[in-house]
Amino acid sequence: MAITIGHSILRFDGPDKVTGRALYASDVRLPGVAHAKILRSPLPHARLRHIDASRAASIPGVVAVLTRENLDVTSPYYGAYIKDQPIVAVEKVRYVGDIVAAVAATDERIAERAVCEIAVEYEELPAIISVEDALSGTAVIIHDENPARKDPKYGYGASLIPHASSNIFYHFRYERGDVKKAFEESDHVFEETYDLSSAQHYPLESHVSVADFQDGQVTIWSGTQTPFPLRQEIARMFGLPLSRVRVMVPYVGGGYGAKSGIKYEALAVALSRLAKRPVRLNLSAEETFKTLCDPSARVTIKTGVKKDGTFVARHCEVYLNGGAYANSGPTVTERAGYRAHGPYRIQHVTTNCYCVYTNTVPGGAFRGFGGPQVSFAYESHLDMIAHHLNLDPLQLRFNNLLDKDELYTAGNIPIDCDLRSELKLLAENIGWGKQDPESRIRPGIKRGKGIACGVKDGGGVNKEANAVVKILIDGSVILFFGAVEIGQGVRTALMQIAAEELRVKPERIQVAPIDTAYTPFDRGTHASSAITVMGNAIQAAARDAREKLMSMAADVFRQPSSTITLDDGKLFAGEQSAFIHEVMRRHFGDLEGEILGIGRFKVSRRDDAPLGYPATFWENGLAAAEVEVDEMTGVVKLIKYISLTDAGKMINPLHCRGQEEGSVLFGIGHALYEQLIYRDGQLINPNLVDYHLPRFRDLPRSFHSIILEEGGGTGPFGAKGIGEGGTLGAAAAICNAVYDATGVRLYSIPLTSQSIWAACSKNSETPKEGD
Amino acid sequence: MDESLIPLRFLLNGRECNTEVNCNELLIDFIRNGLGLTGTKRSCDMEICGACTVLLDEKAISSCSVFAFEVDGKELLTIEGLAGREGLHPLQQAFIECGGFQCGFCTPGMILLAKSLLDENPDPSSEEIQDYMDANICRCTGYQMIIESIQYAAKLIKSKGA
Repeated sequence: MAITIGHSILRFDGPDKVTGRALYASDVRLPGVAHAKILRSPLPHARLRHIDASRAASIPGVVAVLTRENLDVTSPYYGAYIKDQPIVAVEKVRYVGDIVAAVAATDERIAERAVCEIAVEYEELPAIISVEDALSGTAVIIHDENPARKDPKYGYGASLIPHASSNIFYHFRYERGDVKKAFEESDHVFEETYDLSSAQHYPLESHVSVADFQDGQVTIWSGTQTPFPLRQEIARMFGLPLSRVRVMVPYVGGGYGAKSGIKYEALAVALSRLAKRPVRLNLSAEETFKTLCDPSARVTIKTGVKKDGTFVARHCEVYLNGGAYANSGPTVTERAGYRAHGPYRIQHVTTNCYCVYTNTVPGGAFRGFGGPQVSFAYESHLDMIAHHLNLDPLQLRFNNLLDKDELYTAGNIPIDCDLRSELKLLAENIGWGKQDPESRIRPGIKRGKGIACGVKDGGGVNKEANAVVKILIDGSVILFFGAVEIGQGVRTALMQIAAEELRVKPERIQVAPIDTAYTPFDRGTHASSAITVMGNAIQAAARDAREKLMSMAADVFRQPSSTITLDDGKLFAGEQSAFIHEVMRRHFGDLEGEILGIGRFKVSRRDDAPLGYPATFWENGLAAAEVEVDEMTGVVKLIKYISLTDAGKMINPLHCRGQEEGSVLFGIGHALYEQLIYRDGQLINPNLVDYHLPRFRDLPRSFHSIILEEGGGTGPFGAKGIGEGGTLGAAAAICNAVYDATGVRLYSIPLTSQSIWAACSKNSETPKEGD
Repeated sequence: MDESLIPLRFLLNGRECNTEVNCNELLIDFIRNGLGLTGTKRSCDMEICGACTVLLDEKAISSCSVFAFEVDGKELLTIEGLAGREGLHPLQQAFIECGGFQCGFCTPGMILLAKSLLDENPDPSSEEIQDYMDANICRCTGYQMIIESIQYAAKLIKSKGA
């Protein structure tokens, strides 16, 4: 019987976090530490003519000034796939906020003042803000330096299309069947274009890097989601062996993709080397806005259908505004492209997904990872098709959804949950097809319901995870793994898996803090991967430790290993029994020895998998929304919202609910409020006054999350990852509900009251879908 | 530098504190750097997110937008002072049991704002909690589990008092 799996074991980090004791990177205090400030470009695009930092350097208290003149590194460029972002600007600045120089001083205010004393001469270049402008024939090329890149090897149906001398830095194509012919043979062909704004993650803790470079050895404290890739980049840029770069990750104050990959750590390391003392760089909120965003998208989707609504062919053209540097844009592009046709049975598919350089904040990993962009389009589009064919949108989904165990594409794992019955359950819960009696009461207010269903391939690709489980001589246990506690509760959940395998009480287990000096390798905490990828590694390590313990017991009891059993911290062999620590003491002697269990997990490469590797699981996000629209003001209110996802098996139900509901609020925020706005090349709302994050009052009047356990996951005990599903259905469900209420189809998010009001006013003159 | 020191005398988490601060020092910097109490978190720096919430004379304020000298003669409660000798405050216990936090960065401010709410209104409805707590932002939880934590804490406090 499960002793911890499926129980809401209280979080490890609870007491630390509710008492203020929890140490975050922003709380790390080192003796002699200097504080860094960054000089950022005021121009969206310019060549650097001249930098004079001599006045800044002469200010008392300034201990280092870093410019391109004294960078002195093996390579100044970084980037997950394309090495295009320099530690400080070398030739050009490419967006407002780009890093020009940095100062470290004994006091934050001295550093701030010194930054203002750096004189920079720019030669202004034409700025490109929109994707449209970036692709025009006369557009300047934002990266003309030909950055080094590492492109993946794709499998069946997928390809990478190179574009020379273009602002397109990544073009992913997926195709199967014969789309052109299939459109000709379709009874109806529908085509629409959807737009999504770019959004800011806003982790409450800004990016923080504390670095200490001494005697060719680097120590970094960072709130990063990816300690090992970070170590790799620092070692490469500074020409150091990996063993001389040590990354420690304290608690992280929110990530959501923002802290995936190297960010400011190299800058802090370079400053520390110059200053010969530790350097701390803690960004302001505005600087966080100017670090990374969710790329805005334009999605054109074209679908060929039969008279009865059967989908035949789909063609998607997806343009992502990648901003000034590639960052994780290439993978977001690949994933958006791979996910663009949705969880439907469509024989003929072509998708082109492009990521384009512009002079805006770099785009990259963001909760949902390209999924929300395309699911907003395909789920709104589906409703539109249903209305034109006079079909119930729910029925049209039922008719076309993939079955459980059906392939999404060749070479991938089949769909691991029953989307049709999930949708049915969701429809029942929202009262689909039933008119709410309240809906006709107030004049000018209209009510409607909408539904949406999205999937994303979960767990990332090419991810290796390693874990170590140590059983100590007193029978207590320590776990070593690199999955970062960014709030999802991963330490507690992985501890539960180890407790289950070792049959010991959770309170006997500790989790070691992350320090790349002794934590085994992991690719990073993203793609909802921790519970499956790292979960499998920790399960394997715990099983390895258990095997070793059992054979030790066999020795001690002088019984064959096959007769040994383990339960409740005790080993049994026939009549004999002993606690774990008793067995270990009898084996090792009183003071010595420990058992070391080692585990590794990686999904194997498959050459026929479009992305080179099958997914670890299918993450799904279904949403049903009921809205009230005030046509006079354009204000939308969420009356009722139901989200649904499949966790496979919930290791810790309380955490699962937290992940699901948190991701729903990301989806709702993007659907209704969040957008980064540029004017004359300047991001004009990089702060929480002008950028609306969802707040308590923005909660739907009634909000209910349903988490199913369909058991189909490849993680321990059938678990699947969750935490991004809630972002997939929100925008389309809300837009579909607005349509149901008003007959107005909105093609771009966020749905501001202005956009709804304008659309409602215009609608009174134009016919409805399907009329 | 044109800075002058101001003497300060106030109650810090129940204990008398005599010290001095620069006249232009913000309360958040004084708490985090001067007093070394890093439980108070900095985020938006413009009184919008509430991560830096502390209680001054039992009233919730954003310490990022108040000068340190303003605590003179007053009672300052930071998250470090909330747990008593007998253990965690019911709000702290409830946040742990009901999943009221994830990354934990908004949590000290959230709990202190909730304390100020329950001090004023020991039995708030869900709508009242939403209205009051709207002053603070959490990016992780989706808020519902915070509301439930506060409701559960209210119950715990009531049963303790009874």
